[in-house]
Amino acid sequence: MDSKTNTITRSTSYFATLRTIYNKELKGYLGVPFGWVILGCTMALQGFILQAVLQVMTHATGNGVMYHMLDNLNFWFYFIFIFPLITMRCLAEEERQGTLEGLLTAPVTTTQIILGKYFAAYTFYLLLWLPMLLYPLVSDIGNFYTELRYGIQPEGSITYMLADWVGPYAILALSGSFFVALGILCSAMTRSQIIAAILCTCLMIMYYFMGRVTELWGEFPAAPIFHYLSCTEQVKSFASGVIDTRPLILYTSLTVFTLALTKRVVDYRRWTR
Amino acid sequence: MSMVTAEHLHKTFGRFTAVKDASFSIDKGEIVGFLGPNGAGKTTTMKMLTGYLPPTAGTATIAGYDIIDKPLEARRHLGYMPENVPLYDDLRVFEYLEYRARLKGICGKSVRQQLGDVIDKCGLEPKRKNLISTLSKGYRQRVGLADALLGNPDLLILDEPTNGLDPNQIRQIRELIRALSENHTVILSTHILSEVEMICNKVIIIDQGEIKAADTPENLTRNLRAAGRVSIEFKGDATPVVAELEAFAPVKKVILEEPEDGWNRLLVRAEPGTDTREKAAAIIVAHGYPMRHIYRHIPSLEDVFVEMTRRD
Repeated sequence: MDSKTNTITRSTSYFATLRTIYNKELKGYLGVPFGWVILGCTMALQGFILQAVLQVMTHATGNGVMYHMLDNLNFWFYFIFIFPLITMRCLAEEERQGTLEGLLTAPVTTTQIILGKYFAAYTFYLLLWLPMLLYPLVSDIGNFYTELRYGIQPEGSITYMLADWVGPYAILALSGSFFVALGILCSAMTRSQIIAAILCTCLMIMYYFMGRVTELWGEFPAAPIFHYLSCTEQVKSFASGVIDTRPLILYTSLTVFTLALTKRVVDYRRWTR
Repeated sequence: MSMVTAEHLHKTFGRFTAVKDASFSIDKGEIVGFLGPNGAGKTTTMKMLTGYLPPTAGTATIAGYDIIDKPLEARRHLGYMPENVPLYDDLRVFEYLEYRARLKGICGKSVRQQLGDVIDKCGLEPKRKNLISTLSKGYRQRVGLADALLGNPDLLILDEPTNGLDPNQIRQIRELIRALSENHTVILSTHILSEVEMICNKVIIIDQGEIKAADTPENLTRNLRAAGRVSIEFKGDATPVVAELEAFAPVKKVILEEPEDGWNRLLVRAEPGTDTREKAAAIIVAHGYPMRHIYRHIPSLEDVFVEMTRRD
């Protein structure tokens, strides 16, 4: 080696490389219109549902606004499509462009690539829900304006009660961790973003309906399995403020399993290329 | 010390065998040219050396590290430029190179220093802030090369580095590769034989997945069948000349071509490495015939290539 090589500072830190990939991927969401379009659309849909929820809330009491936002068929309408949209590019696009070759010939492990991409997609997913935290603030501002303009004290308001917010956010974070992993698995299986998105949507809908099996077939000996998997039921209980450890175990193990499977898929596909 | 050793590398895709039992070794500081017709297995062999494509059987080492058992160590010594240079189109040139530098474990102040270094070497300064999607083919190629050079790796594997470039750019890249050879080992694949003749000091010829030859260009051309070939044009009765030439020891065969303008054209095939011009001239002059042309064929790498990969 010549003298020049010795002057290069190098690190072989596992997490430094992971962070490099994470940063690049996160920039891939926020540095281009792609991420902002998804964020904008999600906010618009959340706004529509909020409007409907506020109508409901004038009649019903007892539960927070987040409960009504999530325990709502309309919520699933867009929730399911978030995941294929944010994950379909991850590995499929790398493979189509051929840049996966560059990644896998750099001193980087498959696991680092997958984890970097996973955490970036997951971070972006979590960002999608942050604007909802502004609802109480916005409602306060609205109420303040009403009072100022019309001199009436409005009755309803959205509050920052911890119990109203922690549960819903916990289930969004938990189930999201698995669904993002599922999307990345689909993206690893093909070089076409469209196929990845279709596959992910299909699996998401299948998983969603697994939770509704008991509604169709009633109770039968295997029914507890479907209750256990039911994301609608989990959302309902978490949204009303019950933090349950069973979904925690379920989603953590499913996420780890799915990511491990993704690594196998990426490594396997190299053999056939 | 050998930089690369390949032992019985074998790759099959389903029923198709892309590379058969390839073994070779490359020493430090060599510039090696991979030659072969389209689909001969050049790219597959290179991809196996980088560790991207797992070999079906056999193994290879880079700088002493096995590509399967110690892939990360092996890759730290490697700069690879894939065919067609895949890049992220939505990044700017310096962003892309910075990302690649960090992936290669370069950190701290070295990142900026390395970026400046490779941007300078590859002449990318004017396009530094351009989006990669707006670059021309030549500049994309240079970005790929700059990427391979990051971190000053011991071994460079370049898959068709001059593909799609104009003659001036080809010359620049060739000069760059020659300059790199001082402290790097370079493996490159190409279709352009003159390029290999100019810069490589070792040639590996692959055909139908098999290594046909691995030697210096000089050694390869020396032992070529075409090497002793002489062509002569003279006027006069050809029969005695042919007979006398064929009686001469190193001559294997004399072919007489139909005269078109009254001049006989002889093709003399002789043992490689011999010169039959003097004898042939003496024979013709002894008959008193006029002679207007005598030429000994200088074998080129093209002859080697054709001879090794011809299918007839």
